[in-house]
Amino acid sequence: MNILKKISFCMVAIFAMYGCQKEPLNAECDIVEASLPTELLSKAPIVENRSVTFIIKDDVELTALAPEFTLTPGATIEPPSGTVRDFSTPQEYTVYSEDGKWHKTYTVTVKYVELALEYSFENVKVGNTNSFKYDVFYEMNPDGGESFTWASGNSGFALTGLGKDGPSSFPTFQRNDGKDGKALCLVTRKTGTFGTRFDKPLAAGNLYIGLFELGIALRDPRGATKFGMPFNMIPLSMKGSFKYKPGEQYCIFDKSYEGKLRPIEGMVDRFNIYAVLFDRTPPAGTPESEAVKFEYLNGDNVLSEDNEQIICVAEIPNEMRVATPNWKEFDIPFIYRPGKSIDTEKLQQGMYSITIVFSSSIDGDYFSGAEGSTLIVDNVELVCRKLGSTPQSDF
Amino acid sequence: MKNKFIYISLFVISLMTTNNASAQSNTTWGLIWSEMHNFEYEINASINIGGSSPMPIPGEIRKINSYKPGLNLSIGAVITKFFGTNSPWGMAISPRLEVKGMDTEAEVKNYGMSIIQDGAIVSGYWTGLVNTKYRQSLFTFPVLGVYKLSPRCRISFGPYFSVAMANDFSGSVYEGYLRETDPTGDKITFEGEDKATYDFSDNLRMIHWGVEAGFSWRAFKHLNVDAHLDWGLSNIFHSSFKTVNFDLYPIYLSVGFGYAF
Repeated sequence: MNILKKISFCMVAIFAMYGCQKEPLNAECDIVEASLPTELLSKAPIVENRSVTFIIKDDVELTALAPEFTLTPGATIEPPSGTVRDFSTPQEYTVYSEDGKWHKTYTVTVKYVELALEYSFENVKVGNTNSFKYDVFYEMNPDGGESFTWASGNSGFALTGLGKDGPSSFPTFQRNDGKDGKALCLVTRKTGTFGTRFDKPLAAGNLYIGLFELGIALRDPRGATKFGMPFNMIPLSMKGSFKYKPGEQYCIFDKSYEGKLRPIEGMVDRFNIYAVLFDRTPPAGTPESEAVKFEYLNGDNVLSEDNEQIICVAEIPNEMRVATPNWKEFDIPFIYRPGKSIDTEKLQQGMYSITIVFSSSIDGDYFSGAEGSTLIVDNVELVCRKLGSTPQSDF
Repeated sequence: MKNKFIYISLFVISLMTTNNASAQSNTTWGLIWSEMHNFEYEINASINIGGSSPMPIPGEIRKINSYKPGLNLSIGAVITKFFGTNSPWGMAISPRLEVKGMDTEAEVKNYGMSIIQDGAIVSGYWTGLVNTKYRQSLFTFPVLGVYKLSPRCRISFGPYFSVAMANDFSGSVYEGYLRETDPTGDKITFEGEDKATYDFSDNLRMIHWGVEAGFSWRAFKHLNVDAHLDWGLSNIFHSSFKTVNFDLYPIYLSVGFGYAF
């Protein structure tokens, strides 16, 4: 056996020598970090695969800003980092990879703390995946610019390889037959071989205000759904219209079961619609490195009773979470958590964030639900009061 | 040691065959005939060490972290015919049943791959660790030209053909990240326990061919020490298989013993 070991070592050595070719140049062309002076910002910059968003304080001018960028090592950016530009409209930057073979165009948007309040789900654009196209919902400001983009788990579903029949094969997509015009459609899907292998056999259709961080979705699926965007009004209630059809067979996630979904007889799937206003300020004494955890709520804590960040919640009552074949209206008030109230100074500085969440399976974040559960939503509105205006009713 | 046990078993079996009384007269006549016509026979057993390797190893493979040849046994026979009693030249065929395999772990950067399973396709560029398990059971048939260097040493060279009977080419990727479709695509990170497995066994070719160069030394009257290098010239995968960006060629060194009649 000794001779064999010696021969094995020789083979490894030969392969190793062969293998010691020059390190290939980097092919990636990412913006890894983006920055503007912290005093201008309401919130940390948001960097995604093809976009960067800065949310600035109300008193900051956006006509002459010079954001700086950290890139994949060896990559270059046009126009260069630190160039002064007018961000009245979103500006484009192109990053070129070190090896010269790849480039990526980023849209950099600078906006104030404000969110559109009425959602009719008329606007979709193509999701930023190179392979399967999916719908990305966005909202417009009254003055014409883009207000924000809704997040969903679609980019994760794209990795299952099952989205090949177009946007309507994804869990979240736009439908033509809305109450008025088009509507949001959420369908709980099975994720096939790939998703099941990663212990995520079901994907509920979801749409929410926030971000979906695909990069960590594998190891921390509930951490990947980051809820919230800065908001500076007082929310009073949320209303809208919906239809719901639960899927045929409710299943619970069970790792040891075939397909990792164990059918439960007699249990019917339910949907969820809710909105949360929360405080982004980290508790006193939190170290800098931990502060980032308070920027968003996530799948683990967005409705938790003991989450101190939450100010008020509007959640659809359980008796409404049933099969609803015809359009039904909902109008849910924001209920304050015990001991919580709005600090007007924090609100003015944009320290609060709001999220609205729609999901076709209430336990979808734990991969339980019924395949085919369908929630259709249209004409949603956040009824709010601006700071400084007279309250219309007691709350 | 399992290998030694196998060798010893083979020797015992072959010795028993020649000592069998009822077969003796036929065997003796057979051996005399063979000697007159310059035929030689041998049965042998050996071990293959090597792997399927891209030629040359592309820059995307940064490092080979581990390599295990696996238990690659080969059992066969050699029939050699010399062109004349005193001629050093001859021809041989050496059909054998053999296993070629290897287990490796490599570090790769921007390794293009796509995985097709149950109709779903996921493709992208992987940076991170890849382990590969490759195993084929083959029936191999070399046709060699033989040259006797000395009464006890001979070298051989020629093409070989193999038919695969069992195929396995599978493994997993882990501890790294995937860029979906191309390096500008969405990035998804695999950490710790996360891994994606692939299985390209169905894409391995059934028929392989290459060249073989061998060396044989007669240690004792009936015992040969054999070595040969099989250099594959055909990609182990079908040409329609585009997932792995480069061709892989099986290159194996075989070392063993033979019993010469």
